[in-house]
Amino acid sequence: MTGFRLADGGRIDRRTKRNFTFDGKARWGYAGDSLASALLAQGQMLFGRSFKYHRPRGILGAGVEEPNALVTVDRGPGRVTPNLRAPSVAIHDGLKAVSQNRFPTLKTDLIAVNNVLSAFFPAGFYNKTFMWPRAAWEKVYEPIIRRLAGLGDSPTTRDPDHYDATYAHCETLVVGAGPAGIAAALEAAATGGRVILIDEQEEIGGGALSDPAQWAWLAEASAKLAAMDNVTVLSRTTAIGHYHQNFVVAAERLTDHLAVNEAEGPREKLWRIRAGEVVLAMGAIERPLVFEGNDVPGVMLASAAKTFALRYGVAVGRKVVVMAVHDSGWRDALALHKAGVNIAAIVDLRRDVASDLIEGARDARIACYQGYAVTSISGGQAVKGVTIALAGFGKGQQLDCDAVLMAGGWTPTVHLWSHAKGTLRWDEAWGAFVPDKTHENLRCVGACAGAWSFGKGLPGGLLPAPKPLHESKAFVDFQNDVKARDIGLAVQEGFRSIEHIKRYTTNGMATDQGKTSNLNGLQIASGVLHRPVTEIGLTTFRPPYTPQSFGAILGHHKEALFQPLRKTVIDDWAASHGAVYENVAQWRRARFFPQGSEDMDAAVARECRTVRSAVGVFDASTLGKIEVVGSDAAEFLNRMYTNPWKSLEPGRCRYGLLLGEHGFIIDDGVSARLAPDRFHLTTTTGGAARVLNMMEDYLQTEWSDLDVWLTSTTEQWAVIAVQGPKARRVIEPLMEGIDLSPEAFPHMAVREGRICGVETRLFRVSFTGELGFEVNVPAEHGRMVWEAIWAEGQKHGAVAYGTETMHVLRAEKGFIIVGQDTDGTITPDDAGLGWAVGKKKPDFVGKRSLARPDIVAPGRKQLVGLLTDDPQAVLEEGAQIVADPNQPVPMTMLGHVTSSYHSATLGRSIAMALVAGGRDRMGETLHIPMPAGTISAKVVAPMFYDPEGSRLNG
Amino acid sequence: MLLIHCPYCEEARPEVEFAYGGEAHIARPVDPSTYSDEQWEEFLYIRSNPRGRHHERWRHSHGCGRFFNAVRDTVTDVFETTYKAGEARK
Amino acid sequence: MVEIAEIAVSAAELKLGTEPVQGDGVRLSHADPKARYSLRARDAKVLAAVIGRALPGKIGDTDGGIACLGPDEWYALLPAGTDLPRVEGLPASVVDVSSRALGLVLEGPGALAVLSSGCPLDLAKMGVGRATRTVFETVEIVVWREAEDRWHVEVWRSFATWLWNAFLAVMPHAK
Ligand SMILES: [Zn+2]
Repeated sequence: MTGFRLADGGRIDRRTKRNFTFDGKARWGYAGDSLASALLAQGQMLFGRSFKYHRPRGILGAGVEEPNALVTVDRGPGRVTPNLRAPSVAIHDGLKAVSQNRFPTLKTDLIAVNNVLSAFFPAGFYNKTFMWPRAAWEKVYEPIIRRLAGLGDSPTTRDPDHYDATYAHCETLVVGAGPAGIAAALEAAATGGRVILIDEQEEIGGGALSDPAQWAWLAEASAKLAAMDNVTVLSRTTAIGHYHQNFVVAAERLTDHLAVNEAEGPREKLWRIRAGEVVLAMGAIERPLVFEGNDVPGVMLASAAKTFALRYGVAVGRKVVVMAVHDSGWRDALALHKAGVNIAAIVDLRRDVASDLIEGARDARIACYQGYAVTSISGGQAVKGVTIALAGFGKGQQLDCDAVLMAGGWTPTVHLWSHAKGTLRWDEAWGAFVPDKTHENLRCVGACAGAWSFGKGLPGGLLPAPKPLHESKAFVDFQNDVKARDIGLAVQEGFRSIEHIKRYTTNGMATDQGKTSNLNGLQIASGVLHRPVTEIGLTTFRPPYTPQSFGAILGHHKEALFQPLRKTVIDDWAASHGAVYENVAQWRRARFFPQGSEDMDAAVARECRTVRSAVGVFDASTLGKIEVVGSDAAEFLNRMYTNPWKSLEPGRCRYGLLLGEHGFIIDDGVSARLAPDRFHLTTTTGGAARVLNMMEDYLQTEWSDLDVWLTSTTEQWAVIAVQGPKARRVIEPLMEGIDLSPEAFPHMAVREGRICGVETRLFRVSFTGELGFEVNVPAEHGRMVWEAIWAEGQKHGAVAYGTETMHVLRAEKGFIIVGQDTDGTITPDDAGLGWAVGKKKPDFVGKRSLARPDIVAPGRKQLVGLLTDDPQAVLEEGAQIVADPNQPVPMTMLGHVTSSYHSATLGRSIAMALVAGGRDRMGETLHIPMPAGTISAKVVAPMFYDPEGSRLNG
Repeated sequence: MLLIHCPYCEEARPEVEFAYGGEAHIARPVDPSTYSDEQWEEFLYIRSNPRGRHHERWRHSHGCGRFFNAVRDTVTDVFETTYKAGEARK
Repeated sequence: MVEIAEIAVSAAELKLGTEPVQGDGVRLSHADPKARYSLRARDAKVLAAVIGRALPGKIGDTDGGIACLGPDEWYALLPAGTDLPRVEGLPASVVDVSSRALGLVLEGPGALAVLSSGCPLDLAKMGVGRATRTVFETVEIVVWREAEDRWHVEVWRSFATWLWNAFLAVMPHAK
């Protein structure tokens, strides 16, 4: 034996060495080694420091259940992953692994003083101690606790990797590719249906990988599966969770097992699998035993030692003692002995053990101690020996050893079963919960079903000990440093439900979700409470089964692909003319077009002045549009909107105000009647989908007798607003078949014709207060028509203007923006839009609510204008408004500023606000307290420019 | 992700194609003006929120576009049935 | 405070390709220009008579370039320039939406995998000649299986850039 590497055996490739580093030191292993097996082979017993007490910790398990040996793997800038479990990390050339939770080094950890003081850190310590003073929490306690109790460091740079994702469908999904899972996959595949078999390990085989007798069968089965077209085998893939109707999400690790320079393509792939049937073959996890010193490096699960020896060719010690309460410990001891590991003794709490096991041990010349328990471990950073005692109380007896194996029985892995809301039943023989019933097409096979023979054993994991529980340092949850006595304390302090005990002690709440601790915790609570386990309940398993990178969950949809950014057909033109953008819903819109060194204020002032004095062109394509067709179209709109629609003549437009049934404003927009049975509706940019859905709802479910159909035409039409006194002159030369004269084409009219040779729906409408048109053309022609209008506009001094200028111009006229000047609690009357409510209409959506007591009560917030005493002071949108700036805090707030701008046209600031009883306060001075001082403003009507509307008639 | 059987498409489709539409069988009164404030409040805001069988509306928004009704168990999330809008409560 | 570097390519910089892209086993391209109509009617016969074309009767079926998307909804994808009459005075609706969407075509043995990367339907089971509205991740699309290995995807114009690039991201060795 070189180091701890056995002379032969294992599935490692002894001809291929792999060089890596651990805590900066050069190490090596063989191809096929895990980080844990390679380090164990070189005698590394110490792998990390515990979370709370910083106790030295070694390897407990050989799989994902490992709670102690958490490492950070560094694959270069932005590729640092904390909290990986050493037994699940495959080694490759250049792997850089670093232990966690130690300061400054693993061997000399200064914070281990917590361990010495551990009597002062019982369960609930943080909750009890760091409550007051509150300010100290943020400044003192939290930073220190975070320093002490970190579980690795979170990444601080952008993840440079990309991730794949897909949906997949199959008739049968098998989770877990041990012998039971492989058998289930072969059986399902024979029927011809699509089968997906996934397994979290580097290669399929599960428990068979640790049993050379099964390797021939395994190779044959693997080849058979690989040859079948209807089977997809995914290793290195973890089923994170089971969701409704057999939707299983799994993450495949594609490159982390490769050297950095060999890693190509996505790092992980998220599989979103919908399966007809799901077969869970997730196996079982061995339980540790709970005794004094059970966390000293070198104390581990018997099954893990077997895996290290038989799969990786590594002995976990030179002289090994097995502490069992279960037959599997004996079997593992014998298998280890056969593999060349020196088993010094088998200790079993049971007096009666099957004779074949005892004979096997005798033949192997292994000392047997039946009826004994380990009562303590000597050694701090590594096991030096054990003390055993008859029934745990008798006279202590020392045994020399350098490793102690625990065989505490087996816990079926029911996590995904529980995600699926499958029920569990207590199985006395297993001393564990096993799957019972489910409403999903889901079944368990093999060990996770409780259908696997590991032999017999005692159900409880707490060994009898000479010390009383409250003095013992026997650990239950290794990762969260929960001791048996913490559970005792929780019960003593009155916690009864396991859900409460869990949260108080944090047992099972670490990143391993209690894979090795839940059952022992439950058994101990049951013992202290003198109530059967089944009455104490079980905590809930939730996805993910093991910690999962966010990258895979996002899949491709990060950075540029995070979500669609919608652009209009005129967007490119805007970009080439220097537009500064803002995002509105998913759209990006040109906000303003600075020239030279102009800032936003200067650009917007120039754009505003030009629109008012000459003409401006604005891309309004993002407006929502709905084509309403059918003989009942007018009747339908009449029921939806507050104002009357039946009387609207074809060729005319109307402002429509849409309420919810609760009476509050939801959306607005100008709509046109193109023909008796055809309307062209517009909605706000952000409201397009919502309004269409709401209208469909009424049409389909309330008024299905109406002959009306709705079609979204938002993206069919590009919309070019041409606004300003010279607007008519700009579009006139381009139009065909539409008489633009004021007599033939008045304000709020619509005409169909042609512009630049393509069809158009031309609206004469204004959101600026100026003479204005909105040119609708099919989107594919939008850019061409825009450029033609722009070219024509140049003859008249036109500007292109953006959303910011649009906002200022409309605010000067007191036009509201739904969602800015309303907030979902504003009625038409509150917004000063009472005129838009058809008083004679018997009904429309929201009408009944307008008569509710709260809606008609005085004192509601109403939309008003505000003029600051200092004309240059621009109020902050959202700022609160009070009547008396000198009242003590908390002040009585009357409302808030909804829109506020500097108006170049007026040479001063303007604002709109929602103020309680606002319309009764005309002329009153109100106050807006700001950090830099209180600003005073006078309440006025929300109409700052051309109140007569004469400019519309240009 | 749920699989929801659309009674119009007559097939089970993934939840992401659907939008939830609140409790079902709450018809808008033919003439809301005849409702008292209390009745109107009930219509607007009061929902049954049962533990167990829940009659609810869904819309196959990114499919056939239809609103329909469903009976779903709010504890298990299992759909007992789905049926077309306008059909009697099941 | 952690400083996070700017992303290399922002959503605003994504471009809608104009030329076909070939990857291993899959090709992405633009469909020929189309005339598109949203057709609605209470009674399919009335609508069929008005437009002078047969209408598929079952949701998901297609016939002569017209797909049935819902119980009273059809989507016509016809050669560019095809004019369908506007219906007046009948319980039906014909709306020209030619400009509303763009058609992307995925073809080749790898096309199904590209589409399945973001579409939750079991597309392998979708018959040739079937069409349906669905989603690709968060974006609504209409998928039309034109042949065993040829999928026509309709997407609203402003989502096309994102969708084009989302397809590219999963196309192996796209050039
Ligand atoms: Zn449907």
